[in-house]
Amino acid sequence: MRLAGSILVVWLLMALAGTLPSLEPNRVVLEEIFAAPSATHILGTDELGRPVLDRLLTGAGVSLLVALSTVTLSAAIGITLGLIAGYAGGLTDRVISRLIEIFLAFPGILLAIAMAAMIGPGIENVVIALAAMGWVGYARLVRVQVLALRQREHVLAALALGRTGPAITRHHLLPLVLAPIWVEASFGVAGAVVAEAGLSFLGLGVLPPAASWGGMIRDGVRYLLVAPHLILAPGLALFLVTMAANQFGDALRDRLDVTSRNRP
Amino acid sequence: MVRWLLLGLCLLLGACTSESPDHIVFAVATAPSVLDPRLAGDAASERVNALLYDRLVQLDEHGTPGPGMATWQRLNARHYRFTLRADRADYWDGTRPVAADVVATYLSLLDKALGSPHAGGLAHVSEIVSAADDQIDFHLARADPAFPARLTIGIVPARLAADRQAIRAPIGNGPFALVERRENAGLLLERRTDGQRILFAPVADPTMRSLKLLRGEAHLLQNDLPAELYGYLADQPTLELQQVPGTTFAYIGFNLDDPVLAKHEVRAAIAYAIDREAIIRYLFGGRAHTAESVLPPAHWAAVGDLEPHTYDPARARRLLREAGFDEHKPLELSYKTSTDPFRLRIAYVLQSQLAQIGIRLRIASYDWGTLFGDIRAGRFQMYSLAWVGVNTPDILRYAFHSGSLPPDGANRGRYRSDEVDRLIERAETLDAAAAAPLYAEVQRLIHRDLVYVPLWYESNIAVSRGLADYAPGHDGNYLALQRVRVADDRIR
Repeated sequence: MRLAGSILVVWLLMALAGTLPSLEPNRVVLEEIFAAPSATHILGTDELGRPVLDRLLTGAGVSLLVALSTVTLSAAIGITLGLIAGYAGGLTDRVISRLIEIFLAFPGILLAIAMAAMIGPGIENVVIALAAMGWVGYARLVRVQVLALRQREHVLAALALGRTGPAITRHHLLPLVLAPIWVEASFGVAGAVVAEAGLSFLGLGVLPPAASWGGMIRDGVRYLLVAPHLILAPGLALFLVTMAANQFGDALRDRLDVTSRNRP
Repeated sequence: MVRWLLLGLCLLLGACTSESPDHIVFAVATAPSVLDPRLAGDAASERVNALLYDRLVQLDEHGTPGPGMATWQRLNARHYRFTLRADRADYWDGTRPVAADVVATYLSLLDKALGSPHAGGLAHVSEIVSAADDQIDFHLARADPAFPARLTIGIVPARLAADRQAIRAPIGNGPFALVERRENAGLLLERRTDGQRILFAPVADPTMRSLKLLRGEAHLLQNDLPAELYGYLADQPTLELQQVPGTTFAYIGFNLDDPVLAKHEVRAAIAYAIDREAIIRYLFGGRAHTAESVLPPAHWAAVGDLEPHTYDPARARRLLREAGFDEHKPLELSYKTSTDPFRLRIAYVLQSQLAQIGIRLRIASYDWGTLFGDIRAGRFQMYSLAWVGVNTPDILRYAFHSGSLPPDGANRGRYRSDEVDRLIERAETLDAAAAAPLYAEVQRLIHRDLVYVPLWYESNIAVSRGLADYAPGHDGNYLALQRVRVADDRIR
């Protein structure tokens, strides 16, 4: 947990550092093409002489922005639909449940690729494409939680006191479903980072020359034989952040799960 | 029982082995798609068709026509007689090419229903008749002293030409015969003199192509690699790199109907802002040389005294200011290119160099079909392409005459100059010696008007493993495959 947290903090700091005006991630310097790591360029330069470190830091910001935006948008859509389906029941529940099942029937990344191909590349479109598949997990989770909670005494009491549906879901149901949502969101961050890298690798993500880790790996693969350092840094960063986000999610789940906490 | 199982396993493993090792595997970026010389328009297909079909006339590296499978006489200004050579090769089904095949090939090519991209240069042919079994008469609507140079299309059998559609099962009389055409796995050809087989194996990724060569899964590759990979492969002791100056002419095209790019100052500013020498040095590793005109310097109609637009950012900024653009009113332009990683890399360098004079270049990369469709339709401001295999001054009419706007030609920038039109039309009626100065003048005008920013001629580079006697052709052709030898017995 501590290591995972530290890596995530470093990721955050890298993303902040990526906004420094002194960085030149897109400055083309032909004389420095494929420069090996040195005191001037700690991680070397790429196929256009751009510093890999500067691009790595800028890419950290992109992946953090995409991850947080995707998770926020996915959660907002998923929680809303899950609450509506779980609380309203009946035909509304059946319609939303079928919609969830339809989305679950497709492999998520395939759906995101298809969507990104339709709406075109760009950071905003990546977020839209990833959220289009990401909301399903939240919706399913919240719906199941609400189905279990809506017969609880405090909900029935609120109903008896004349509270309306939106008020009950906001004040009496939503706070109780948030714990598993946080866990889902932490896994969602890892998924979004990998998915963004995947889309950028395929040319459907962040538009060049803007830096992204997936795009850096894609470009680096082409020069694997002559400049292997190009994929090492973004590959390692991607691996560490994904692993840390997943471990953080595991730890969070363990901490929030009362039954596992009380286990001997 | 166990014995039978082992035998079955051995058979299965045998079936799973890769290509028979006596094949020379030529790893190519894209598989040749059209095996009909009348319809082939892309470089990959044209180069393979040149191996499968013989032509009436061959052009040398200066663009000068020489006898192919026929010799010719100019009976008068509008009448040429071609006589098939007695030593011409048979088709690989054993039949002998005769005049009727030539007549059928060219008549079908001129048939609009076929949609041949080569028909434009022969539009003035009024009649083609077979004078004898081995003689063909071409009658022209106007005098054309350079006419033989236009007859470089492979001759297909009359029975195949009669269909008025693309040939699916080709039969040619070139130095190679087609053995097999594999779906997504390339072409297998056999050299007719000694049975040596060549497999054209498509491998899109440059790194993968290089790795196949390094591992011995391929024996030859040519062009379409980043410069750094050539350097890496040249250092490998098992490989041999051959480089010859090329005629592939890369350029930046402008849409002259665009109100901004119609200004000569803007085009000149762009030309002076591009540091071609630096791009050639660092991106091509020196494996290209600067170009000033579409016709290469060795061509008989080339012009040698064009003043280059040498890199001069100060002059470029001044020109841009004269055109009404500065830091308060920056110029933003779009630039279309293909999704090829190396072309994109060049685009980013151009973007960076133009940014230094205050031009914001928006790069849009598209797959080949979309890019070419947009350019033909005039949906662009700037684009970059290359002319491959330019051998005759016909390119000047095709690309710059005002009557050649798409779809009638390749004047994609919508360039209109009465003087250029007049000079081209006049040159087409003269013999080579008299036409050369007029073609030179046409090129001077095109260069002055900056219809294109001429960039460079890309060298042709081949890397081979265990082969001898192969060198790429001046226009990137594969004709040296006629004499290539397996020098390393391990390939056998």
